[in-house]
Amino acid sequence: MSLDLDTTVKLAIYTTIAETAAAPTAVAVAQRIGAAPQQVEAAFTRLYEKRLLVPEPGDPSRIRMAPPFSGVPTAFPVEARGKRYYANCVWDALGIPAALHEDAVIPAADAFTGERLTLEVKAGRAVPQECVIHFAVPAARWWEDIIYT
Amino acid sequence: MLLFRSEETVDHWCQAHRVPRRPLITLGQLWQLAVIWYANRLTAESRRPAADEMASVFAAVGLEGPFWDPKADTWRSAI
Repeated sequence: MSLDLDTTVKLAIYTTIAETAAAPTAVAVAQRIGAAPQQVEAAFTRLYEKRLLVPEPGDPSRIRMAPPFSGVPTAFPVEARGKRYYANCVWDALGIPAALHEDAVIPAADAFTGERLTLEVKAGRAVPQECVIHFAVPAARWWEDIIYT
Repeated sequence: MLLFRSEETVDHWCQAHRVPRRPLITLGQLWQLAVIWYANRLTAESRRPAADEMASVFAAVGLEGPFWDPKADTWRSAI
């Protein structure tokens, strides 16, 4: 099966992150798939329009978010496959073990008190934990400022 | 979205940030959303659910109303 450029770029991004726990640059993706960096940057923009990617503000050659993964360290680290990934939010923190199909430990904290609040995914399920999740932004507005959301 | 130990600490956070309290969901609901959203994210076929699909997904895990409607423009008055 022949894949279009956007799909090839998307797979290269996610494969790289899954393998290394780090988001690749447009240059690194271009090297991996044998394309020009400018073509890959253009694909980044199209993937953003499909809400599958968020380039770094001010630098379209870098990735801030490839949901559920974050391209930068956040308050939501996820330990899986012997690596430390970073998620964009608590939803995405669970999304990483869901995407990897792996067990994971998420050493999070209560957003107000800072109390340690570790979540765990084991054997395809979230281990019950005393906690609640608060959504401050309604679904219709999530992508108005997705980095804040 | 943020994680809290209890509804009490949610209220403290909302007061501290001067924002209204919005819906809360359980860890079980969030895990269901994570699986639906991301289980195939590393495949060629993966895509973000469309708005109509999102509404169905939210309803399937018990999240209904204008806050969870990706196309709603009335959530401010309805919450």
